[in-house]
Amino acid sequence: MLSGLQNPRQAAAQLLNFALILSTAFMMWKGLSIVADSPSPIVVVLSGSMEPAFQRGDLLFLWNRNLLAETDVGEVVVYNVKGKDIPIVHRIVRKFGLGEHAKLLTKGDNNAADDTELYARGQDYLERKDIIGSVVGYIPFVGYVTIMLSEHPWLKTVMLGIMGLLVVLQRE
Amino acid sequence: MYNSLTRIQNVFGFFTTVAFVVSAIIAASDFTAPRTPSASIKPTNVQVVKGRPHYYSSKKEEYAIIKFSLDADMSSLFTWNTKQLFVYVTAEWPSTPSGDGTNQTNKAVIWDSIITSPSSDHLANLGPATLKKLRKSAAGKSIDPSRGKLSLKNQRPKYQITHPSGKVANTEDVTLHVHYNVQPWVGMLTWNQDVDFALWKRMARGISNAFALPTVSAKKK
Repeated sequence: MLSGLQNPRQAAAQLLNFALILSTAFMMWKGLSIVADSPSPIVVVLSGSMEPAFQRGDLLFLWNRNLLAETDVGEVVVYNVKGKDIPIVHRIVRKFGLGEHAKLLTKGDNNAADDTELYARGQDYLERKDIIGSVVGYIPFVGYVTIMLSEHPWLKTVMLGIMGLLVVLQRE
Repeated sequence: MYNSLTRIQNVFGFFTTVAFVVSAIIAASDFTAPRTPSASIKPTNVQVVKGRPHYYSSKKEEYAIIKFSLDADMSSLFTWNTKQLFVYVTAEWPSTPSGDGTNQTNKAVIWDSIITSPSSDHLANLGPATLKKLRKSAAGKSIDPSRGKLSLKNQRPKYQITHPSGKVANTEDVTLHVHYNVQPWVGMLTWNQDVDFALWKRMARGISNAFALPTVSAKKK
């Protein structure tokens, strides 16, 4: 018990090990970000506007490069509304024009109306730069833990506490 | 060290590994199921009206109402990993009046439909009576290929076509296209392809003949 307190060398090794785990996770996240060219290559679904395809807590993998074709009608994209920092997952239903300044309109499959009302004042359409990625892969439910963590902040403290205890108590 | 902590860690680690491998195998199994979708679509009644296409429209603009008939067989897209099939019909037209039809730069969805697999019926956004009927239609089946067969006659569009310029009347070279998007339980999202890919064939037909939008007709209501 509490071997680290008795042996400073071992305590330092454990601390480094912990730092290594954290930095590996961070590097993998940023590496994926570079590969997919998206600031947030994995997102958790927060709303039910795309049900039954995506429920709250599902994990989506994004791809933000137009290697073969432009972002097109029918693709499910994640976008940020001007001036707001809430990513929204919806499907493109209209596209006028080509290239960077093509006008894009989105709509949630489960919503009756399109997203015109969700956009910023004076913004009638999205452009390519508002989009942070198209959904290419899907894993259900795995992201629910992050929703739990953000809705019940005390869980964060508990988790950090448990992790810290584990690191201190572990011998190897 | 075999204390309970490391045991819990090992069990959890093994569980996540197994879950990940099994999901990967399920996702890869999509490629073993042949896909042979086909569709035929034709416009039946085209109308252009000037008015407010939505209750929140701030200005009057021209919008087109394209009724269509659609026959589609997408039953091969339903496998054990299919969560839902999203079928949508787009109207596409070139931005210059005399386009050759290959450079479509205006696209708008005029109709779409979510077709759930029996395994995801409970998630569908339907009233209790409709849901009961839907579940009954596939009682005892986990895969129901008959869900993928569509036959619509003179179907009203769900969405009216507009254009940022406010003008759509007399547009030429408009074509209707049928598309689909397969949503899996786990794995990659897939759309209709332009080329064959292994066992997945491109959609047979699925494009209507070119037609023109008429001039503005008398205002409705």
